[in-house]
Amino acid sequence: MILNRKTAGDRWRIRPDGPAKVTGKLAYLTDYAAPDMLYGLVLRSRYPHARIRAIRTERARTLPGVRAVLTHRDVPGLNAFGISRQDQPVFCFDLVRYVGDAVAAVAAETPEAAERALELIEVDYEPLPVLDTPEKALAEGAPKLHPWGNVLHTNEYKRGDADAAFAACAHVVEETYFTPRQMHTYLETEGGLFVPEPDGRLTVYAPTQHGLLDRLQLSRILAMPEDRIRVVSSPIGGSFGGKDELNIQPYGALLALATGRPVKIHNSRRESVRAGLKRHPMKITMKTGIDASGRLLAHKVRIVADTGPYATLGAEVLNFATEHVIGPYRYANLDVESVSVYTNNGMSGEFRGFGGNQAIFALEGQMDRLAALAGIDPWEFRLINLRRSGDPGPFGQRIARTDGAYQVWAKLKESELWREREAAASDPGGKADATRPPWIQTGIGAAMVMHGFGLGYGIPDPAGGRLRLAEDGKIEAVFGYEEFGQGLLGTLEMLMMDTFGFARDDLRLVVGDTDRVPDSGSSTASRTTAMIWQSLRRMEGPFRRKLLEAAAALLGRPADGLRLGPGGVTDAKGGEPLIRYADIAAKMEEPIEEETHFHFPVSDIEKIGAHFLYSYSAVAVKVEVNRLTGRVRVLDQYHAVAAGPVVNPMGYVGQIEGGSGMALGFALLEDAIMENGRYLTGNLDTYLIPTIADLSGRVAVEPVEDLPEDDPYGPRGIGEIGSVGLAPAIAQAVYEATGIRINRLPIDPALLIAKPEDLWKAVSGQ
Amino acid sequence: MIERTNPAPVRTEGTVITFTLNGEPVAVAAPPARRLVDVLRHDLLLTGTKIGCEIGRCGACMVLVDGRPMNACLTMMYQVEGRKVTTIEGIAGGPEALHAVQRAFLEEGGFQCGYCTPGMIVSAAVLLAERPDPTDEEIIDALSGNLCRCTGYGGILRAVRRAAEIGREERCHG
Repeated sequence: MILNRKTAGDRWRIRPDGPAKVTGKLAYLTDYAAPDMLYGLVLRSRYPHARIRAIRTERARTLPGVRAVLTHRDVPGLNAFGISRQDQPVFCFDLVRYVGDAVAAVAAETPEAAERALELIEVDYEPLPVLDTPEKALAEGAPKLHPWGNVLHTNEYKRGDADAAFAACAHVVEETYFTPRQMHTYLETEGGLFVPEPDGRLTVYAPTQHGLLDRLQLSRILAMPEDRIRVVSSPIGGSFGGKDELNIQPYGALLALATGRPVKIHNSRRESVRAGLKRHPMKITMKTGIDASGRLLAHKVRIVADTGPYATLGAEVLNFATEHVIGPYRYANLDVESVSVYTNNGMSGEFRGFGGNQAIFALEGQMDRLAALAGIDPWEFRLINLRRSGDPGPFGQRIARTDGAYQVWAKLKESELWREREAAASDPGGKADATRPPWIQTGIGAAMVMHGFGLGYGIPDPAGGRLRLAEDGKIEAVFGYEEFGQGLLGTLEMLMMDTFGFARDDLRLVVGDTDRVPDSGSSTASRTTAMIWQSLRRMEGPFRRKLLEAAAALLGRPADGLRLGPGGVTDAKGGEPLIRYADIAAKMEEPIEEETHFHFPVSDIEKIGAHFLYSYSAVAVKVEVNRLTGRVRVLDQYHAVAAGPVVNPMGYVGQIEGGSGMALGFALLEDAIMENGRYLTGNLDTYLIPTIADLSGRVAVEPVEDLPEDDPYGPRGIGEIGSVGLAPAIAQAVYEATGIRINRLPIDPALLIAKPEDLWKAVSGQ
Repeated sequence: MIERTNPAPVRTEGTVITFTLNGEPVAVAAPPARRLVDVLRHDLLLTGTKIGCEIGRCGACMVLVDGRPMNACLTMMYQVEGRKVTTIEGIAGGPEALHAVQRAFLEEGGFQCGYCTPGMIVSAAVLLAERPDPTDEEIIDALSGNLCRCTGYGGILRAVRRAAEIGREERCHG
């Protein structure tokens, strides 16, 4: 059933954070201001690659209104950060490796004084050769960007002998795919407020996807114990992975501590583009062979990822891509090698889809090309090789049992859009075609997506949460997760109401404050809904029992005749509360509280990053190609998603629609082009994301909620999967419309403009 | 949450510029070329008006000047002298009221992170004021200057259609 407001019925609920958002009353962390506040700015490198000879700050420091000018000499602790590997300097001192590198930071009484101070900082650079492609960085004799060289990470997976197997293949397809440097383009740029507290602690109000990890990283840099730092990190004006790593936090924190005054930093879009993360550009070469019946005999893949100057999560993204170029299919022989390379380009890092977008674009491209070569319908071709219930994962690892791949395959086949394609195939040049001008061509394509969620094997991936009856009678649900728009608060509220029978007004949802939350792990990797669900499953029994026993003692009647309801504890029939939660709270002698900690479920294979839980999706799309302009319009989309039960329908539809909007940008519009290590784009006038005019077509979202019997894991992650499948589906739809194969995103319109003589033939009908 | 007080004394340099803000007369001392968005966010602490690009491309700072949508990042203070400025904080016409567009955004889920939402709602509200029954083409036209990165615009399109429907219902019953 297509999920929408109508079919969701009373489970379509207004988000708890909604009223404050639609009225403009919600203060984002970059809206904060404090009395006596200073303005912070960061001096970024003038060159993509240079040696620093000297830094002189005297002129800047003596400028009226300037309160601090900091460089590498002013970092009390570790002058480096990085979620996974700390190889990014807070302040550069010997080398700069990209145009976003920080060399100094200033705090001043006005933004104008801070800007002037930046201009007065003198840095002597000695420019070095710019390694602006992974090929240059890997070339023999290339300058080393780090003492350990220019390779951040390699990975591989081999089974059988792919090279030998190609000889036996009836058809082999070889292709190289290129994907763009996509920008997250969260509407709220990085920023926040940093406040030194009277007791010597530091409060950081700045977005992140994992407050406790920011606290750990800041404690290393500041040489301050973690408990002296408080990170308040929600609400957030969009992140999509882009704010998970530290960005302005080290500078705000150092400036606030140096001046003893609150410091505000809010990046301009230009600075956000220059310093911020992007999606890894990847070059993926694939050679894939089948036998005469369409069975995959050999799949050879080489991935080269441009990770930019520092690690952040580049290794983890590469691991994910390595797993997902294998995807939901069975192969007789596999040979996958991948490398993530340091360059002097912009920073690449975590971005919704996490390497899967690039991998699946290439993989699905191979499936469509092979099907065409073998003369098999592209969707039927996928079924021949699809992994089924009980199959292992891409690395041969044991995974949670699922038939998700087949479920979404079958749903798509029955979908209205796919039936339209089949009808059109049996009636070429039929009625629908007659009304269109001859330079408008339409096509329908589809793609399969398998997406692992959670961080995977070998990576600490804690989960957990806390429930308590607060002193004022509110039931607190406390999780170390962040609300960046995905609807975490709405989902948490619905789960609390559905699990326990509480009313909305009974609840207080607490997230995004390291002074208050337990370690729930990160709000990344499509994991939070599943982890909240699993946390509540663990806490449900004990917390209910504690509440009922406290009520029973106060009421003087047995607990087993009582139940939790809206407003308070009722008798077995429900109705008016016998005692309100506030009354229990007022009289409780010891805290009524339950906490749980556990680890995200992982497989038992020793392969770093291998997943245990997967979501699946099948995407069909209808496009219209204008052969005069080369422009592609997306008319109609269908998404089948197999990810277990739908917890929050509004959030579910929003994640798939929103994710697919990003995928449309990835396929048709977006690329933060760099030349010689410098961005050719600085703002949203030249970096174009989809507008409502690009995304006004129909989108149908159809969840498949069935899980295997006795499945203990509940809802699967859907935060990223919507951003993956549309790009390869568009590429195939363009092929069906025009006969032109796409191997590079975003699709270059020049490729799709018909030659004048072909157009003349079309127009004149000759 | 921390106290939200004015970070610096309201500037006294510059010209005194008077205009109507959300129905109330205000006088602000500001250089004539100071951006309206800075006066709103910094001097008057009306942070519902957001900043996303500062070059008039994203629409996060959309406000109404004499009922017409304007990017507050491209509007200078001298341009609002004597005019009526309406921000998201004043779009509903009362502190506790909700505009039909705001109700529809809530009901349909026309937002996620919410950062583009004030500007989006301002643009949608002026569209419906001018065209109570807009076609989809008119909605797309009116909102094409407002970027949203979260929703894919599906919820926004449905919300504006729903707001028009709320308007029709109210006209029938009112």
